[in-house]
Amino acid sequence: MSSNVETGSGETIPARSGTRAWRATAGTGVVVLVLVTVHMVVHHFVVQEVGGLRTYRQVLAYVGHPLIVVLESTFLVVVTWHGLLGLRSVLFDLGLSEVGKRRASRALAALGVATVAYGLVLIAVLASRS
Amino acid sequence: MSDRDLDEIRAARRAPGPVQRKAPGATAWFDVRRRGSGHFAFSLNRLTGLGLLVYLYLHLVVLSTLLRGAEAWDSFLRRATTPAFLGLDVLLLFGLLAHGLNGLRVALIGSGVAPDRQKALLWAVVIVGAIALLGGALHIMGSS
Repeated sequence: MSSNVETGSGETIPARSGTRAWRATAGTGVVVLVLVTVHMVVHHFVVQEVGGLRTYRQVLAYVGHPLIVVLESTFLVVVTWHGLLGLRSVLFDLGLSEVGKRRASRALAALGVATVAYGLVLIAVLASRS
Repeated sequence: MSDRDLDEIRAARRAPGPVQRKAPGATAWFDVRRRGSGHFAFSLNRLTGLGLLVYLYLHLVVLSTLLRGAEAWDSFLRRATTPAFLGLDVLLLFGLLAHGLNGLRVALIGSGVAPDRQKALLWAVVIVGAIALLGGALHIMGSS
């Protein structure tokens, strides 16, 4: 795939989009788009309750399925990764110094690990109750 | 993208050192005045992205209610199924569609798959997004 942008006058300019962070954001974004569609449909569009929200017993029965545990865990990891990469990009636009950028990256990585860890514990506890 | 925009981008890229942004400043990306539809889409993508990130953590907090048992969750459900709350669900759906579809457009352009189809893709995003939002909103509000 080319990373150049056609200007319309026959000339191409580098899109400057070939960085690792941009590729990671775009790649995780496509995966999130697929997973969020599945998540929304199975959570809110096939359930016959008001607002498509499951009752407590229905949630436990749903999360108790091994395939759902894998699906929701994958969604949690990828959506957290994608979201914090996006926040990193917004923070970098604040004009941070190189040291500031490194600190922001580390802080967001730590936040991401904590978020995923908490989410996985939440899924595991609920799955064990089913 | 206008010729003037392209000239500025090319000039910035020829200059030594890091590429300077067109309008430096912490919130320059948020200012859509005198900008094209592409910049508006970029700003909307960032705003919806930040909103969805806040929602991600809010969602985890709400789901933590499940740890407190059936009574706590079903009590939350009674609030969550009011028309006002379902209206917020429609707002969430708008954010998801705007960010997801426009993000897909940006990925297609930036990766070089469809670099010269920016306007067409933007219109496709608007049309597909509007149809999906209308269908989703009718489903969500119709269930209340």
